[in-house]
Amino acid sequence: MENKNTVFTYLCIAMLCFLFSCTSVTVDQVKHKQVELIQGDSIVVIGRRSGSDYETEPDLIACIGTALSQASTALNVIPESDFVDRLYPWFEARTAPVHVQDLNRLLSYEKISRIIDDYQVQYIVWIDGNTEKTRSSGNISCGLSPTGAACFGFGTWDTKSEYEATIWDYKSRQLVGKVSSVADGTSYMPAIVIPIPIIAPVQRHACKTMATQLSDFFTNK
Amino acid sequence: MRAFTNILLIRVFLVTFLLSLLLISCKSTVDISGHFPSPTINQLPYSIGVIFNKKFSGYRYIEKSEKREKWEIGVGDAQVKMLNVVLKAMFSNMEVTSDFKSTSGNTLDLYFQPSLENFQYNVPYETKGNMFEVWLKYNMKVYDSQGQIIADWILTAYGKTPSEFLKSQEAALNDALVIALRDLGAGLSLKFTQVPEINKWLKKREKSNKESAKIVKNNIVNQIVLKI
Repeated sequence: MENKNTVFTYLCIAMLCFLFSCTSVTVDQVKHKQVELIQGDSIVVIGRRSGSDYETEPDLIACIGTALSQASTALNVIPESDFVDRLYPWFEARTAPVHVQDLNRLLSYEKISRIIDDYQVQYIVWIDGNTEKTRSSGNISCGLSPTGAACFGFGTWDTKSEYEATIWDYKSRQLVGKVSSVADGTSYMPAIVIPIPIIAPVQRHACKTMATQLSDFFTNK
Repeated sequence: MRAFTNILLIRVFLVTFLLSLLLISCKSTVDISGHFPSPTINQLPYSIGVIFNKKFSGYRYIEKSEKREKWEIGVGDAQVKMLNVVLKAMFSNMEVTSDFKSTSGNTLDLYFQPSLENFQYNVPYETKGNMFEVWLKYNMKVYDSQGQIIADWILTAYGKTPSEFLKSQEAALNDALVIALRDLGAGLSLKFTQVPEINKWLKKREKSNKESAKIVKNNIVNQIVLKI
């Protein structure tokens, strides 16, 4: 009985270790000039979707936007979908400005500059990158028989989130800085009759750290 | 013994039934739906009649390849919805017609007839980046008020969306197609006046409008002079 309890305790400790120790995040920041946000100014966070073999996830953009507006700095963040829909078709994957100078061409069009002015946009934050599975190993077999179904085995996989935020000053049409975040994590799935997924929240960590870095960036910390 | 055999038979029946259900549900069906915003563009001061033929408005792609998963994708309603929104913003007056004849009795300046020439898609196991991808190839035709063709050009659209944990295949493909249709709307609204034949027609029309305005102005001046 005592043996069983010890095994159970070790198993719990191992699982907790898997849950909390298997994600590492590296952040980096470059600031070309001080930022200045005054009362009423807004920022917009948009995903760059021109990459041919990956796609910046819309839920990550929403996560960063929510985290920034809920942070202690309480930045006024315009939801990506609202901004992109109102300025359709100028911020679609193939039509969005790639360089900060391209804003001049776009803003020469009066209707567009009026909409952006309505939003009181001061900074445009472009997020580029994605989360992907980098390695997987192990094997899980499942069987179905008249007596029931069961799975046995063990699977593990590594996930990597790599994102870079480019911050444009809308009013001065300048690149003011860049923030990058790289998160790695390993997920496990032991299967003893039923599969138990222990998933490393890599993308969530990337979102939180990116939001914290951006928040510090905008408050000049 | 007999009771055990009965229970075993019931279980075998249940397993067979569940497996059959799984096999039946192997076909994925999706009717594309989404939100298409009105484009922020300069409106052309012309009226247009849009002809959506039955093949276009009821377009359904049915996967016939034995090597791929079975899919049935209804694109017709979504592409009609998107074009209605975009063309209403592009022209001062737009109406859906069944032929080269206005339903309101007004003379229309142009007629527009789209057709979907090619539809292709990839599901995550077929792509490098674990994504759903969609390619659309359209043939766009623009006719004058008499039904004479002015321009005939190809417009392509592309959309992709990453596969996500706990997101169904149908929802992911729907999102990729909505992005592709938005791309089509962007291409149509931004490149329409750049199609050489249409650009030529617009310039010709502008010139004739200016001349008409000049004639009207001269007539008014003449009438005033006569009255004096």
